[in-house]
Amino acid sequence: MHVSRFGKILTRYGICCFAFFISLTISINSNASAANTDLNLRWQGIEQLGKNQDVYFHAWGGDPQINAYIQWTAQQVKALYDINLHHVKLSDTSEAVSRVLAEKSANNDTHGSVDLVWINGANFATMSEHSLLLKQWANYLPNFKYTDPTNNPAVNFDFGIPTQGMEAPWGQASLTFYYDSLATDNPPTTLDELVIWSAKNTGRFSYPKPPDFLGLSFLKYALVILHQDSAIEIQSLLNQPVTDQSKVVVLSPLWDFLDKLHPTLWRNGKHFMTSGAQLRRLVDDTELSLAFTFSAPEVPAAVKRYDLPASIRSYAMSDGSLSNTHFVAIPYNAAHSNSAQLVANFLLSPRAQAEKQKSNIWGDRTVLIHSMLENKQSAWFKAQEPHPSALPFNSIQRTLSEPHPDWVNAIIQGWNVRYGVSK
Amino acid sequence: MNVEPTKTTNIEYKTDLFTRIVKFSPRFLLACLLIPVLAGLIGVVLPAFGWAPALSQYKIGLHGFTALWQTPGLVQMAMLSISTGLISTLLAFIITLMILAAFFNTVWLNYIQRLLSPILVIPHAAAAIAIGFLIAPSGMLSRLVSPWLSGWELSPQGIFPHDAMGISIILVLTLKELPFLLLMALGVLAQPELGKKLRAQHKVALSLGYCPMTAFFKVILPNLYPLLRLPILAVLAYASASVEMPLILGPNTPPTLAVAIMQWFNDVDLNLKIKASAGALLQLAITGGLLMLWLFGEKVVMYFCRDLLTNGEREYSGAFWQKLTSVLITGVIGFILLALVGLLLSSVAGFWRFPSAIPDQLVLSHFQSALTQMAGPVINTLNIGIVSTALAILLTLLCLESEQLRNKSVSRFMSFIIYLPLLVPSIAFLFGLVWLQQLANNLSVFVSVVLTHLLFVLPYVFLSLAGSYRRLDPRFSNVAASLGAKPHKVFLKVKLPQLFAPILIAAALGLAISFGQYLPTLLVGGGRISTITTEAVALANGASRRTSAVYAIMQMVLPLIGFIIAWLLPKFFYKSAHH
Repeated sequence: MHVSRFGKILTRYGICCFAFFISLTISINSNASAANTDLNLRWQGIEQLGKNQDVYFHAWGGDPQINAYIQWTAQQVKALYDINLHHVKLSDTSEAVSRVLAEKSANNDTHGSVDLVWINGANFATMSEHSLLLKQWANYLPNFKYTDPTNNPAVNFDFGIPTQGMEAPWGQASLTFYYDSLATDNPPTTLDELVIWSAKNTGRFSYPKPPDFLGLSFLKYALVILHQDSAIEIQSLLNQPVTDQSKVVVLSPLWDFLDKLHPTLWRNGKHFMTSGAQLRRLVDDTELSLAFTFSAPEVPAAVKRYDLPASIRSYAMSDGSLSNTHFVAIPYNAAHSNSAQLVANFLLSPRAQAEKQKSNIWGDRTVLIHSMLENKQSAWFKAQEPHPSALPFNSIQRTLSEPHPDWVNAIIQGWNVRYGVSK
Repeated sequence: MNVEPTKTTNIEYKTDLFTRIVKFSPRFLLACLLIPVLAGLIGVVLPAFGWAPALSQYKIGLHGFTALWQTPGLVQMAMLSISTGLISTLLAFIITLMILAAFFNTVWLNYIQRLLSPILVIPHAAAAIAIGFLIAPSGMLSRLVSPWLSGWELSPQGIFPHDAMGISIILVLTLKELPFLLLMALGVLAQPELGKKLRAQHKVALSLGYCPMTAFFKVILPNLYPLLRLPILAVLAYASASVEMPLILGPNTPPTLAVAIMQWFNDVDLNLKIKASAGALLQLAITGGLLMLWLFGEKVVMYFCRDLLTNGEREYSGAFWQKLTSVLITGVIGFILLALVGLLLSSVAGFWRFPSAIPDQLVLSHFQSALTQMAGPVINTLNIGIVSTALAILLTLLCLESEQLRNKSVSRFMSFIIYLPLLVPSIAFLFGLVWLQQLANNLSVFVSVVLTHLLFVLPYVFLSLAGSYRRLDPRFSNVAASLGAKPHKVFLKVKLPQLFAPILIAAALGLAISFGQYLPTLLVGGGRISTITTEAVALANGASRRTSAVYAIMQMVLPLIGFIIAWLLPKFFYKSAHH
């Protein structure tokens, strides 16, 4: 009895020791592979739990191409994981933010209605500030490695704020201009030229009213360019939170610029559209001859859909193009957070990213780095014959990075005080 | 001994389940309408004064109102809401009166009614989209005169839509409310007793040498107006606080108050919700003020026109006014037809550069791509519409039956409450309602949306059915009852079959109202339930003209199908019954 019991203990002890040594050897030999096994186990768990559920994906729904791409994604995740992906079409992402906040205040901490949200910039800043997002998941997605996270700050910072694994990168955008070549043949290529061009072609240019994302992007582009030759101390203020003094110093050149530009704009700068899609419609109506977008492939796609005339040409400003990354995030109280991670991982997969980059699908630039992909995967991204209205290859000569998100509110407030009420 | 059984049957009759349900139904109807509106209002009043547990704010105070007063352009927003609401209602009312006066007792009135009533089923958003196409600088009107007359090679710089004065909003609201008021007036005149009396009086006035228009204003209007008052007030309340039309056609520097409130509620900055609640109260005050102003204006007009009624004057250049009315109504109908043509062309247009009046090529790709994405929204639209309309009809029928069992019509209070959801601006109580639903948290989204739609469907269904129900010849039911039929049998076998056609019309109307709801679906559904209308409004402010044209057309087709069914089904049934 005693012997056998002792033997049992000995065996158990031995197994433990053995296991310890094995694990020690492995961890000494390759720390990474142990971590990998952990990650694999973690991911297997998520796959187990996340299958066969609903995912409510709250994403801006104003573009039929993007909506169609999300539907394609829904079919794919249905086939892969039996997940029913529902696209909740928002007219403004802030609707989802307020919903999650309302749920938090109603103490709904586990059955939130938002599972996945398409987000970046100010909305992300708000959500992370109020701790409304699930942390440390995006960096553990199996497909995250293709973004080359160690060398690529674009996927770890959102408008200068560290993402801390709260959001998975989805696509990249930079400010691209387009013009009607039948109406004008010398579009402006710098901010200075823009003012001159607009004075000559009165009423043929406009920008969406803040707080629209695209309108703010234009204002930020102008702000960054206006401070190009400012002292380094003033330039660095752009990357810091706003103070009362910095607000005056940094923003007054912008207001001077707008005071000069506005009288030459569409409707004398007294009425502004509220989105980039409306701007595009005005170009189609020939009311505007020059406009811009944050997603370059949208332009040829619109021409193919007859939403823009065939005479449209795209180009990038030679003094710089504002660029940023957009993400998907999971609210802390999402009812189906595991399934949402499966979807986010699929969105980041080479196949989904390649599909997204096709100009006839959506044309959103991928966040994956080509050197991280296998040849076969890399081949999926090869573009077809470029469309005459598309942005010519390699035309972005200089990228401008986004100022600190704090500036967004400062710009919105200042803009509303000055131009929000037409006189 | 003989007395006993009679007593028991009597008791049995009174406690019959059907009868009890019927007698209880008016109270249930009241609860259905009153509770959400009042609860929603409380849910707005509390945060307006700073008490918002959802934002962990418990400090009661006026800071919401302070923030509201400091909003740049607040006065302009309020003025825009007031002017668009008041002017459009006045215009719609005046044109309605002119049409009625010019064509009273003639066949033309029937033609006009037939031409205008389809506009009633066009949802507000679709109407706004269609008219927007027409009046834009590159719209149909401008294309028709370019370049041969105007010399425009590029679209001119216009002010429509989105003009700062809100003229585009006034235009669309007027066009949309005109058929509603006209049909309401015609509905009143269709009441057998009253209609007969008024027509006879009109004839007497004519034989006394009054011009037809003068006769209408002096004889008919004083009797007609009291019955039109509530519909007019509903129109005024809606016009002063609507969201989707100003959103699509209105200015945005600044927008109307209702649109601004919605934007504050949806803003990233959650502290704006306090300000938005204060704004909702201001909206409530504005709408209430406008209603009071209208009632006061009524008194003033009555005071000054009292003598005119009896001054014996027969003629106020009636021929001129009659011609003017004909021109006006032709203009209105032509305008609407042109808008529809523009909408149809846009939905199938390939490249269509200004100033061509017709597209370069006609393609079906917009329909194809939209239809593939439309299935979900259409199914949602139908589900919500059918369930809420069915509930509304059931409740309405029970209430009307209780009227007949009690042998007296509903109280004034009750008929006012039925109008309540139409008189209280929805922007003022829907947000509160959403907030309370967050607290309750256990209703499914679908149920919440259906119940909210019910609020807006019920009044119309009730108004549409009440007339026919009250006109039912009581002798049929009396005969049936005297033959021993229980109340439920009388209701099901005698009354309902006679009401087949009116019920179908009420159902089609209820569906049309439900299909057109934007704010209730968006807010209560929290964006989780997309219907054809929420999609159409989202696309009108986003995607291409062509896609939004397809959605607007779908928005019109759905209710139209309902009305066609309601119109055909009775014919089919009566025909087969005849055989």
